Amino acid sequence: MFDLTDEEILRYSRHIILSEVGGTGQQKLKEARVLVVGAGGLGSPVLLYLAAAGVGRIGVIEDDVVDVTNLQRQVIHATADVDKPKVHSASETMKQINPLIEVDVYHERLTRDNIFPLLENYDIVVDGVDNFPTRYLINDACVMKKKFLVEGGILRFMGLIMSINGGETACYRCVFEEPPPPGTVPSCAEAGILGAVAGVVGTLQATEVLKIITGVGEPLFNRLLQFDAEGLRFHEVNARRNPKCPVCGENPTITELIEYAYTCETQAPGSS
Amino acid sequence: MSEFGSNSENGGRVLSFEREEKCHSAGCLELVVQGKATHYHGPRNVDSLLRAMGENSLYANVRINGDVLDRRDFENVSIKTDDTIDILYFMGGGACST
Ligand SMILES: [Zn+2]
Repeated sequence: MFDLTDEEILRYSRHIILSEVGGTGQQKLKEARVLVVGAGGLGSPVLLYLAAAGVGRIGVIEDDVVDVTNLQRQVIHATADVDKPKVHSASETMKQINPLIEVDVYHERLTRDNIFPLLENYDIVVDGVDNFPTRYLINDACVMKKKFLVEGGILRFMGLIMSINGGETACYRCVFEEPPPPGTVPSCAEAGILGAVAGVVGTLQATEVLKIITGVGEPLFNRLLQFDAEGLRFHEVNARRNPKCPVCGENPTITELIEYAYTCETQAPGSS
Repeated sequence: MSEFGSNSENGGRVLSFEREEKCHSAGCLELVVQGKATHYHGPRNVDSLLRAMGENSLYANVRINGDVLDRRDFENVSIKTDDTIDILYFMGGGACST
């Protein structure tokens, strides 16, 4: 039988009634361990939905504090949380929504030095960062450690989603081999972001995580989905594994983690 | 002067196009961009196409008929009628943020 209490069966009844999920799927969610990198625009909906769904153990890593300019899109934080570490604000909200789950809080930046030990405790990683050095670090580490990764990015009115089964399906570098030249792609702080676009992309990332855990449907493997809010259109691109990929290709040139430098002098606040 | 699809004046909207249009002059290319049929007037290379599409495209990777291009080749790779072009945008970046 399932190791679900009466309280859990009631709370998750709208999941359990879905024949594709059922008690078995809910049990898998309870046993799942997911690491969310960033508690910002993307991390907010991801964390809220994973907590509500009963994902048993959720890690959140982020070194930033809540800024008033975050509140337009980072819906896990409230006005009273300004100046609080985002990880604490996020975990408090998650616990209010669902006290039955465990939340691991890491008030630090994800780096080459801490990523491998962290990954040992989790099966799936969600990328909610807003910078390329960390994005490539996460991709490479998930390929090397064969972890699932759900990628997401946002800018202005656009978003991008891609699911990766590390070492098995196309990775981020199979499509975007190297980071763009420093300074060419603006951040949300510089170029702006329509708040709800973060909600669309983050909610799709959460959906992918729930699908991967429960085995429902077809995850967005070997596909890249781009979202255009202005035309309200999605554009899907096939993304086969690239034999020349520097990290998962036939002759990988990246065999240990690299951390690209941050090149700007000014630091813009906040996660995407 | 390059002209792209039906919203060449809107540099911001680069993932999609208003409607399908036929070429009605010589020198016009019919392309499939982001899954949508569209037309393009202008120098027949990837770099010019991206410039015609707007500012955001300059930060993108490009695939023609499924093959990913090297960014350094954008000025040299030519485009022709019936090419299928996918613009893969870098998103979630900005070297200035943490
Ligand atoms: Zn790869």
